[in-house]
Amino acid sequence: MKNDIKVQRVILNLTQQELAEKIGVSRQTINALEAGKYIPSTVLALKLSKLFDKPVNEIFELEAND
Amino acid sequence: MKTNFLFPYRFKKVSGILFVISFVLLALLYIIGEFGTFEFKAKVFSIAGGSGLLGDEGDFYWLETSITDELLMLLVIPSGIIYAFSKEKFEDELLNTIRLNSLAWATIANYTIILFGYLFIYGIVFLNVLMFAMVSQLLIFIILFRYRMFRFYKTEGNEERY
Repeated sequence: MKNDIKVQRVILNLTQQELAEKIGVSRQTINALEAGKYIPSTVLALKLSKLFDKPVNEIFELEAND
Repeated sequence: MKTNFLFPYRFKKVSGILFVISFVLLALLYIIGEFGTFEFKAKVFSIAGGSGLLGDEGDFYWLETSITDELLMLLVIPSGIIYAFSKEKFEDELLNTIRLNSLAWATIANYTIILFGYLFIYGIVFLNVLMFAMVSQLLIFIILFRYRMFRFYKTEGNEERY
């Protein structure tokens, strides 16, 4: 699964730490998300969607092998 | 969102210290063996089996025996469980994933070791394998999870705003 959390975060001018605090996770989780190493729960995806003011399927995108 | 049960974070440090101390004492007790030098004797209730390896004084009776190892086990297992399953300072879902993954690998590693011991260790020495099996899964899980958490906390972040 691909995501453009990093792009959205930069648009909002937030560091990983600031984004992490806003949605109540650790900085390491944001780091793993951006690196594509971790697929978030629905709750976390919806929190990101709310913060970025974008539908979830515009932030996350399925890849061929999913 | 509340997902699973864990002991509070404030128990972590004290249970960790207790676990290490009692585990080291227990290991020492078995390395020294023949609980000669320090032992507490007490009357305990035996459901089955007697003092000594082959002792068999019947079932359901009171038995006078050394309880040093029982006392230590009573510390090792609860403190280990609490230490292993207490919250981190900051809980989040990635951490939960790491915990579950460590638990799965610890179980696999533990049973691999036990199976190996079962296949290649015979006779009275096999009792050592059984003793190890009492605490091994907990021990392997704690070591594996702490190692993963150590690496998790060390992860370099990308702090640039671009």
